[in-house]
Amino acid sequence: MAGKFCVSLTHGKDDTDKATVAFVVANAAVASDKETLVFLSTEGVRLSQKGYADGIHEEGFAPLKELMDNFVKAGGTIWVCSPCFKKRKLDEGKLVGGATIVGGAKLVEFLSEGAPAITY
Amino acid sequence: MKQEAAWDAGDMGCGDLVLELRLKLKAMAPGAVLKVTATDPGAPEDLPAWCRLTGNPLVEARHPHYWIKRKDA
Repeated sequence: MAGKFCVSLTHGKDDTDKATVAFVVANAAVASDKETLVFLSTEGVRLSQKGYADGIHEEGFAPLKELMDNFVKAGGTIWVCSPCFKKRKLDEGKLVGGATIVGGAKLVEFLSEGAPAITY
Repeated sequence: MKQEAAWDAGDMGCGDLVLELRLKLKAMAPGAVLKVTATDPGAPEDLPAWCRLTGNPLVEARHPHYWIKRKDA
């Protein structure tokens, strides 16, 4: 069954439990043939930087970097909130694979096409 | 030669950029083209999305420059 699915993630190292579970759910969606988007905003945008997720490993879950890599390999998309990214002075040259910096209109377009969304 | 309408949005992005852009285009005649300069790293994805959402055609895009036509009323 085709369709879109959005996982909104607002945490990084400030809540590694939520960051991890967000990608577990995103992987379930992409594995279920959904066109799946992980939208990173506020503290979540730090996950867009290479190396940031290294070492985040919640008990009972796969390491976060592995979850993110698998998500992108499976065809998942990561969008990074532009103003959140700029506020934190992050580096465009260090984006992880599959990540694109976007503004609000891009998210509005995706959700307006009828995508359910879950937020962590 | 006709003077091209232009707006330098600087590093404005996300909701601020498209809200201001909406006002600028609304003040123009249908069919007129606005050259927008937007250096925000989200602009290459965001401005085409906004154009699709609102029906104002994106004539050309060469980041950081975007030519957007005001749709017919």
